[in-house]
Amino acid sequence: MRDLRVSFRLDRHNTFEAVRGISFDIPRDATLALVGESGSGKSVTALAILGLLPPENSIVHAGSEVVYGGRNLVGLPTRELRALRGADISMIFQEPMTSLNPVFTVGSQLEEVLRLHRGLSGKAARRRSIELLDEVGIPDPAFKIDAYPSQMSGGQQQRVMIAMAIACEPKLLIADEPTTALDVTIQKQILELIDDLKRRHQMSVLFITHDLAVVGEIADHVVVMRNGEIREQGPARAIFETPRDAYTKALLQCRPRLDRRPTRLPVIDDYMAAGHHGPAHLEERRRGVGAGDPVILEVRNLSKSFFAREGLFGRREFKAVRDVSFTLRKGKTLGLVGESGSGKTTVGLTLMRLHEATGGEVLFEGRDILRMSEAEFMAYKRRIQIIFQNPYASLNPRFTVGQILTEPMMIHRIGSSTQERTDLAFEMLAKVGLPEVSFYKYPHEFSGGQRQRIAIARCLTLRPDILICDESVSALDVSVQAQVLNLLQDLQDEFRLSYIFISHDLAVVKYLSDQVMVMNNGELVEMADADEIYRAPREPYTQRLLAAIPRGWQPARA
Amino acid sequence: MAAYIVRRLWQMIPTMLGVILLVFVLFNWVGGDPAYVLAGKISNQEQIDNIRRQLGVDQPYWVQLWIFVKQVLTADFGASWSTNERISHILATRLGPSLTVLVPLLILDTIISVALALAVAYVRGSLTDRLVMILCTVGLSISILVYIIVFQYFFAYKLGWFPVQGWGSGFWENLVVYSSLPILIGLVVSIAPSLRLYRTFVLDEINQDYVRTARAKGVGENRIMWVHVLRNASIPIITYVMAALPGLLLGAFLIERFFSIPGIGREVILAVERSDFPVIKAITVYVAFATILSNLLADLMYKAVDPRVQLK
Amino acid sequence: MSTDAATLPRAHRPGGPREVPRHVSPGLWTLAWRRLRADRVAMVSLWIVAAFLVMMVLSGSGLIASDWSREVGVNYAPPTFVGPDAGGQGPGAASPHGDAGPTAASEFESTVVDPIGDVIAELRRGQAPSGAAHGGDVVDPLADVMKDIRSQKGAAAGGTVDPLADVMKDIQSGRGAPAAAAAEERRATLPFGGDKWGRDVLKKTIKGSETSIFVGIAAAFVATLIGTLLGALAGYYGRWIDDALNWFYNVFSSVPYLLLILAVAAVLQQKGMTTIILILGLTGWTGIFRLIRAEYLKHKGREYVQAADAIGASHGRKMFVHIFPNVSHVVLVQLSILTVGFIKAEVILSYLGFGVPVDVVSWGSMLNEAQNELILGKWWQLAAATAAMALLVTAFSLFTDALRDALDPKLKGLKGH
Repeated sequence: MRDLRVSFRLDRHNTFEAVRGISFDIPRDATLALVGESGSGKSVTALAILGLLPPENSIVHAGSEVVYGGRNLVGLPTRELRALRGADISMIFQEPMTSLNPVFTVGSQLEEVLRLHRGLSGKAARRRSIELLDEVGIPDPAFKIDAYPSQMSGGQQQRVMIAMAIACEPKLLIADEPTTALDVTIQKQILELIDDLKRRHQMSVLFITHDLAVVGEIADHVVVMRNGEIREQGPARAIFETPRDAYTKALLQCRPRLDRRPTRLPVIDDYMAAGHHGPAHLEERRRGVGAGDPVILEVRNLSKSFFAREGLFGRREFKAVRDVSFTLRKGKTLGLVGESGSGKTTVGLTLMRLHEATGGEVLFEGRDILRMSEAEFMAYKRRIQIIFQNPYASLNPRFTVGQILTEPMMIHRIGSSTQERTDLAFEMLAKVGLPEVSFYKYPHEFSGGQRQRIAIARCLTLRPDILICDESVSALDVSVQAQVLNLLQDLQDEFRLSYIFISHDLAVVKYLSDQVMVMNNGELVEMADADEIYRAPREPYTQRLLAAIPRGWQPARA
Repeated sequence: MAAYIVRRLWQMIPTMLGVILLVFVLFNWVGGDPAYVLAGKISNQEQIDNIRRQLGVDQPYWVQLWIFVKQVLTADFGASWSTNERISHILATRLGPSLTVLVPLLILDTIISVALALAVAYVRGSLTDRLVMILCTVGLSISILVYIIVFQYFFAYKLGWFPVQGWGSGFWENLVVYSSLPILIGLVVSIAPSLRLYRTFVLDEINQDYVRTARAKGVGENRIMWVHVLRNASIPIITYVMAALPGLLLGAFLIERFFSIPGIGREVILAVERSDFPVIKAITVYVAFATILSNLLADLMYKAVDPRVQLK
Repeated sequence: MSTDAATLPRAHRPGGPREVPRHVSPGLWTLAWRRLRADRVAMVSLWIVAAFLVMMVLSGSGLIASDWSREVGVNYAPPTFVGPDAGGQGPGAASPHGDAGPTAASEFESTVVDPIGDVIAELRRGQAPSGAAHGGDVVDPLADVMKDIRSQKGAAAGGTVDPLADVMKDIQSGRGAPAAAAAEERRATLPFGGDKWGRDVLKKTIKGSETSIFVGIAAAFVATLIGTLLGALAGYYGRWIDDALNWFYNVFSSVPYLLLILAVAAVLQQKGMTTIILILGLTGWTGIFRLIRAEYLKHKGREYVQAADAIGASHGRKMFVHIFPNVSHVVLVQLSILTVGFIKAEVILSYLGFGVPVDVVSWGSMLNEAQNELILGKWWQLAAATAAMALLVTAFSLFTDALRDALDPKLKGLKGH
């Protein structure tokens, strides 16, 4: 295989250029990582290589070239393109669950590729499929071949996707955010699998991701994209050790790291401002809980079960949270980490009585808020507030920001008049760094980060003591994430707020938390001061979890 | 599986009781005294007295309800008020003609609509697609009455291709000679809404990620449509067809009436015109029961064709 | 807690201490309306629907077509653009009952007559004269009643200038209908033909539209109100309220819709507009109930509702101030879908004689008459009723489709992630 040369020039309809004339090469037998935040055009680029962009609303501009094996794939007849797809160049996607056809068995979907490109059928195809499943590490492949995608876990589904992609020994594997939807331990396995297969089959890999830590682990070459343009490209070592572009520098710095904890995270603007090389030195912030810190919330043996109907009259109990106990101290942050299904979100919702607890006590200033009557609880409700994960869903789209901010005050009779409440709302907008004119706007006019600021402002209007952040920054881009984290930190410093910070992102939790609590299968695994748990995890599960965090660029590796 | 079915059957009981209660309230309470209803329709006072005694009109409501429940359980609704025919006999004899028209209609409608829906969805957004959709909307906006009147007038009366109306004795004669035009009209009326619905089902599937995966594998467009998409879209289609089944029994009542096909639908209209309550009551209760059962069947089929759903 | 959407400050109060430029921001409704405006098909449809509604109001208030029942033309007067009937049915020459038709047609008529037509006719005759005109028989048992009505109206309106001439000229877009003063004698042709008694089909269609559209809209409102309210309660509260309402829904939806309507029609002996509106409304709420219930179930779990819960909003407030505006587009679309459905159902019911009373004209009763007229070759009443209905319903359906697209919140990132 000769060197693969790819260059683009493509346009999206509606005067929106998703990718604006980018060029890069994918060398043989190497991994090229395409990195960028949302809207950078990285996925569009990947789809364009195989001509998979929806034809009804995408235009690949004339003059664009994707050269593979001496042929320009742009404008290639569909028949020839189809012969390449799945055989020479194959692709895996972000959501393995939806990317597999739900009504066909895994085996029949694998055999389809083999039949199409290898002419295998019947027993031969089945035998090869089993081999492939075995190769990607599916246990008991002879049995699993007849399973439907829905009968497998997310990690296994992604393995099947990979098996399908490598079935015909492709020269190039395009992986579009293949691990974003997976838990961190599974992510590690999948990354290792891809790396392993790449070496064994001598493929090139085009790895698309937003996560620089992942890139640092696997990439040989890196292309950094922003707004459809390439900011910087080069060998991984050069990008990570001596980045030239301001944006690349910012991206590398504003992501919280496990080994450092500056008082403030650097943000993009620090770097993008002309001639500025970013804050030279940032003080480290000390975290941890002392014995003297007053306890504001004490949780004892909190349990929550969900019930599903089963059998004739029976119901099956699913214990989402089992006997969880912890304390939260005033002005401190308790990080709550765990993989999907660990029950961490349920804990947050149960504390607020958004879910009804099955058992246990939640003592707020010594009183059990779970046993209170609705009326009695009203006063406490104000003092515990929550910020959700999805900034698009947590604001009522039919309310103006003004209505969103004044409603809580009206309900809790804060401020004596509409005028006073309006003034307070303006104050809060200023606090979270939004312009005053936002008051009259609707949520859909704001970006994800801005919406999250509005959600924070809404909580602040009630002057709460405790703020539960349920994956509050997980849906945000790295650069925006840093800004929101800084805002949360500032607010904690100013108002002495206590946070329960729920996240699957261990690096973010490390940055913000004084104490960390690890959950698995609804149970509390380990709880300790943040620094301690990251330095010396006691429980095997915590150790595994921490080991799976992508470490980013390790100079020793090169 | 068995436990699931048993549980579902168990859950049906309150619904069935509800249907009985609804029909009872409607006819015995809102409907009022049969003597009043039948005034001027039946001159024979003795017969009216007989009917009142059977229904227990002079007794408390709960006794009347019990009489009605017994009728339902024993499938014995007595005789028609106007023709004195046994109601069980009416139901048994009217079912055949209805099915003769409806079964071929349903099969043809489904096959044609699904094929057209796939074709139209494949060229989605094109001029053909939009024209077909507008044609469907216009076609839907004309009352079924107009189709029947015009088709009967032109094809049967003017051109003489079909008999104007009637019903024979042999199955094939009925199917080929007497049912052709009714089925044709039924198709014209039913394809438009089915096509519109199935098209949205297909479009929902076309935009799924697995279609992109299939393309990335190098699968051809035809195979994507006919294998990958159709198999997924067939899940809601089957559910829809199953759920619509009992309604169809009635849906064609206008056709049956115009073409003098002695089916269930025509029987209902006749009964309403004659205030023949026992006939309406019997048909309502049994059609409702059939609906409840076919809903269960639809659920079971849904679970059978969709591997994502686990029986619990 | 006195909480009300209206008390929320929609705008910063003028004269306040803070001077922020008043920013007029488009809400989701405004954005939807803009999308709708950009859709040419939707706007044309909207104008057509609006025209029908205006016509309904004018007709209902007696401004137009109030004299629809006057016999202004000869029996079966052909449309003006066809020309006078060559068969020589001079003014007043034909009998009111179409026995002057060709013999072939007469034969056909007798074959179309329902086998039980006689029975029914018999029953009808025995009944009070409020029995319905029933298809399949050209001989109208109600002719006497109608004649009475007509003579009364005729006496009242006799000798006045046709107030509709101008309107009709517009409608026909200049098709040669001379705005003549009402002639004492019946005219040989009418703008769009005449019916069995020589009444103007055009005016009759306007009057029929009024009835059919009014019944459709009113019934749709009744059904939507019931369905939305019950659906919101069931979806929001869940538990036993949901179980109970679901049982209610299951019972109603297991009886096929048309059968339910016919059963109710059989039971309710008295006829009238209110009756048919109630029949349609009380039986047609199930579809919207299911949809609204599902929407409330979905929205109840949404983060913005949980956020409202977290700030302490009451149940009523969450249900109607927070969730309802976010599902109202479903209600609106269902309302228009139901209107179309009920217009069609009314036509069928009235055709069968279970619908509007006999002295009220609707599209259904027109089709009933038209069926027999077609056999005589008098196609215009059928054409007029069909065209009016097809035009309105097509426009309404296209508008509904466009409305659904315009209101689809998918674009607004609601479904995001």
